Amino acid sequence: MSSPSPELDQLAAGAVDADDLRILARVAAVYTQLDPVPAGLVDRVSFGITLAALHGEIAELQRTNDLAGARAQEAPVGSQTVTFTSSDLTTMVTITPSGADRVRIDGWVDPGAGVQVELRLPEQTLQTGADSDGRFVFADVPRGFAQFVLRRPDPGGRQRAVITPSIEL
Amino acid sequence: MIDADQVPETLASRAARMFAAFQGGDETTMSDLVGLLTPILWHTVRAQRLDHQSAEDVIQSTWLALVRNSASIAQPQAVLQWLMVTARREAWRVTKREDRVDPTDFDADDLETTPDDAPEDLVLRQDNDIRLWQHIAQLPERCRALLRVIAFADRPDYAAVAESLGMPIGSIGPTRGRCLAKLRLQLGSDPGWES
Repeated sequence: MSSPSPELDQLAAGAVDADDLRILARVAAVYTQLDPVPAGLVDRVSFGITLAALHGEIAELQRTNDLAGARAQEAPVGSQTVTFTSSDLTTMVTITPSGADRVRIDGWVDPGAGVQVELRLPEQTLQTGADSDGRFVFADVPRGFAQFVLRRPDPGGRQRAVITPSIEL
Repeated sequence: MIDADQVPETLASRAARMFAAFQGGDETTMSDLVGLLTPILWHTVRAQRLDHQSAEDVIQSTWLALVRNSASIAQPQAVLQWLMVTARREAWRVTKREDRVDPTDFDADDLETTPDDAPEDLVLRQDNDIRLWQHIAQLPERCRALLRVIAFADRPDYAAVAESLGMPIGSIGPTRGRCLAKLRLQLGSDPGWES
């Protein structure tokens, strides 16, 4: 059906014309209907890049596949686990619904001793410190965009920050 | 050729203007740029069959990378291409990683996240759009990926956009190229298609 043909070659060599532009406009409309940009993505990006200019390393986000593996069976229903990796810190957070529009965040950072954890939300910023095992908790957080900033003590007295991409709680 | 100062702005040139302003210290233009280019980036990564959640994450890290590297982008005109190439690489990387976890997740032949739904059951509003979708679905996957993204660009930028997608020179722009020509032929032989 679409095997090479002189007609196809000739058409392919022609300049893009107004009919093509009309068709492509419809192609865009079709994809916009079938697979629209998710609501909130632009806002999430705008929220997330605000801190990007801050001095610090940006961590890489990895999602744990909740459908596979034994770990998923231990995790509370409806929870999601996200891992952030940077050159010398690994941070795993599990987000569990805790009420209407609220979540609990259980985190673990490695190496965790002395790490200060900042949770940046659109309306406020929460702070806590990781315990000697690297565990930290934000027990009651409103749903919405969130971003972590991790600061680890530096022998030289300077703090080195790791910034995570924003996630939606 | 039209007078230089009458050339209409394209997606790439609008993006370049906003990015140059951002580089010049006007930080408010970055959110305009995000709003302008996120649709084409979305379709760039979704055409690589990335699932919804991963596609959102890839787009976010692409923008973070741009802000991080903004000083090193010497030519603002290249910002659209820079973002598309970055998004495509990141999507490819994530696809490889996820593939190792669960290859069956990426078996569905549809571009959509709901492969169980026939296109007719989806949200296309007009008969003509359903017809167009059926013709698009018959194209080779490379052509679908190309046209899906090109559809969100402007004609003077087609060749650069195709290059950012890793397509060979001549895939599209300034000439039609084979993908668009195939679609034209299919539509032309469909008596039900109203152009």
